[in-house]
Amino acid sequence: MNSLFYALPFVMVAVLIIMGLYTVLFKRNLIKMIMGVAIIQNGVNLFLVSLAYREGYVAPIWTSAPDVDMVLPTPHALTLTSIVIGVATTALMLSFVIMLKKHYGTTDSHETRRCKE
Amino acid sequence: MSLDLVNASPAFILGIPLLFAFLTPLADRISKELRDAVFMIGLLLTVLFVAVMSYEVFTAEGWAYVFGAEETGEITRFSFFRIMFVADGFAALATITVAITALGAGIYSFAFMEGQSGMEKFYTLFLLTLAGVNGMILTADLFNLFVWFEVTSIASCGLVAFINYKGKSVEAALKYMFISVIGGLFLLLSIGLLYGEYGILNYFAIAESVNGGVVDRVALSIILVVLAMKASSVPMHMWAPDVYTESPGAVTPFIAITSLGSLFVLFRILFVVFRYSVSTAALGGLLIILGLLSMFVGVSMALKQSDVKRLIAYLSVSQIGYMLLAVGVGFSTLENGDYATFGALALEGGFFHMINDGVYKALLFLSAAAIVYSTGTRNLNKLGGLAHRMPYTTMFFLIGGLSIAGIPPLSGFSSKLLIYKSIYLYHPILAIIALVVSIITFALIGKVFYNAFLGPDLGLSKGEVPTTMLLAMGILTAVVVVFSLFPNYVVAEIVVPAVEALGVTA
Amino acid sequence: MNWKMSRVVRTVTDVMVVPIIVFGIYLIIHGHLTPGGGFQGGAVVASSTALLIIAYGSFRDYKKDFSSVESIGLTLFIFLAILGILLGATLFYNFGAGTGGLFGGRVAEGINPGYINTGGTVPLMNIMVGLEVTAALSLILWMMAKSSDSMEVEA
Repeated sequence: MNSLFYALPFVMVAVLIIMGLYTVLFKRNLIKMIMGVAIIQNGVNLFLVSLAYREGYVAPIWTSAPDVDMVLPTPHALTLTSIVIGVATTALMLSFVIMLKKHYGTTDSHETRRCKE
Repeated sequence: MSLDLVNASPAFILGIPLLFAFLTPLADRISKELRDAVFMIGLLLTVLFVAVMSYEVFTAEGWAYVFGAEETGEITRFSFFRIMFVADGFAALATITVAITALGAGIYSFAFMEGQSGMEKFYTLFLLTLAGVNGMILTADLFNLFVWFEVTSIASCGLVAFINYKGKSVEAALKYMFISVIGGLFLLLSIGLLYGEYGILNYFAIAESVNGGVVDRVALSIILVVLAMKASSVPMHMWAPDVYTESPGAVTPFIAITSLGSLFVLFRILFVVFRYSVSTAALGGLLIILGLLSMFVGVSMALKQSDVKRLIAYLSVSQIGYMLLAVGVGFSTLENGDYATFGALALEGGFFHMINDGVYKALLFLSAAAIVYSTGTRNLNKLGGLAHRMPYTTMFFLIGGLSIAGIPPLSGFSSKLLIYKSIYLYHPILAIIALVVSIITFALIGKVFYNAFLGPDLGLSKGEVPTTMLLAMGILTAVVVVFSLFPNYVVAEIVVPAVEALGVTA
Repeated sequence: MNWKMSRVVRTVTDVMVVPIIVFGIYLIIHGHLTPGGGFQGGAVVASSTALLIIAYGSFRDYKKDFSSVESIGLTLFIFLAILGILLGATLFYNFGAGTGGLFGGRVAEGINPGYINTGGTVPLMNIMVGLEVTAALSLILWMMAKSSDSMEVEA
């Protein structure tokens, strides 16, 4: 029972990634697809942060810290980098959707398919 | 602490494009000529440092470059916690391919993008993509690979959507962006799995402690699928025709270079990290299946195209199949003892085909873009008789086309001969399929050449393209000719060190 | 179409922009001691641009200035990294740690109340990245507001 409780973050990661993939695959509106990509980004960031956790340890900051051991700091650095990359990709994808709306007049992904097979 | 520029050349290959990418908008505020000069200086300095690093690797031995260390050239036990760049024969082969194609595409873009506004952003994105691909190839740290992977996908998507007065290029860029970003997120997931299992992110450190458990196999399959997606292998190739067709003409060989770069990275990860822990026969078999699918689907879809650039895009998908096939055969012989007979030959053929393909594919795409620049149409049903007004472009297209079809004495023939010889000894049916695909490729090149260039003069073209575009295509043609005339020299000096650097010796 | 908000909102915005920018600069400078650093502080300072665009509904054409500040920030960042090579060590070498001079104090071991004068190149790179992120995010917000016609561009 105890180990199931500590495995809960990883179950949430799986739920988030599946929800994000469902949104990208099955929704027609382009903005909703970008929101799905953001949900997958959040899921992967949660996975990286919950890899670092050890039971009973505190955040890895030396400034005025309590006198106990600290969790691993490397995945926190990886997560920060991933969040920054997520901001850049979301901004670029939203800019593409704005330009696409100007040229095609719609944000329906079934209508914006003019590159032929 | 001494200033050792040759030892620091991997860092300069990465750092010089990054620095000049952000100097270009500052130079643009002063004058346009200064911006063009700054871009050219950045490109030429990168090519210079690639040459310096390759010369040092081929004459002396390879080395590892550690970021943030105090002494250069000294590996302590702390070095595996820092970011490490590795400069060996494989990195030299890959960066030479990238540098030659980037030089050609960069010189071509001066005249092709004449009159476009916002050119300083084009040069920034171009140099950022170059830095990203070089970083992906040189790095020996898993998370650094993810960072350069994302930099490459963001910058190349920006380049694809650059000319946007119609909507199609933006649509192609959005499709590419969705697939690349989701692929990058899954790559980060697998890197997190490997970090959580082993606690360290360096390729060599993981290679010492990896076992063949479930976590390893999941991570390996995700990495394989994502990098093969970026390399446009079937069944993940759906972005490739749209992106190659709708991107501006000077940018298309650069997107092809990002595909080749991810293929180089995939092979490095397979050979360095996962070689001793998984069954190489099974993994090689998977690569062979992907290669066969890519070859066949690529060339079949190209048969019914009437758009020049889309046809060459499908041909490029099928050439990726050749590389996957050859390296798959070489990888699967590492276990069953046939390596000395034909496995080494398969690896040499595969790597030689990669550097050949980078150069002649760029040449084909640039000459197709010259057709578009000169006539304004891409439709093969409307073109005809361009050889009367554009003799140089005809010759360049002919050399590139004969090379991709594998006709002697051009360079494509040498690499394809090595591939046929080795995979025939693995299983004869593979060589027969590869030969049939090559014959169909030759037929397609003949069709394009006949439709576009031969025939009576229809008066479509405005004349020969500007001189800088001819200069860029001429540089690439000169490299193809050099590779054609001295193939054994090229294989012995450039390709064999790459095969040996991956740790495989007979 | 005039998108500006009421006088109360505009006055509160005028008052609140200064503490937001100061808090953002505090996050940037103290990045090597407490959670924060270049990106986080830069995002906070860029949110003041968002506040100004929304409250006033019009903004001057600072596109070239934002772009130049962004380029200057990143050029200095990479130049600081390459300076490590030119001083004889490797890329991104921390040549200010432990020596005298700017940000050159000795890092205290263990739990300490946080001395800002430590870290070497790390706070300098934080400042450069903060400059770049501020300018880049403000530019993105400006361009998106202009293209969705919810902001008019003053001369």
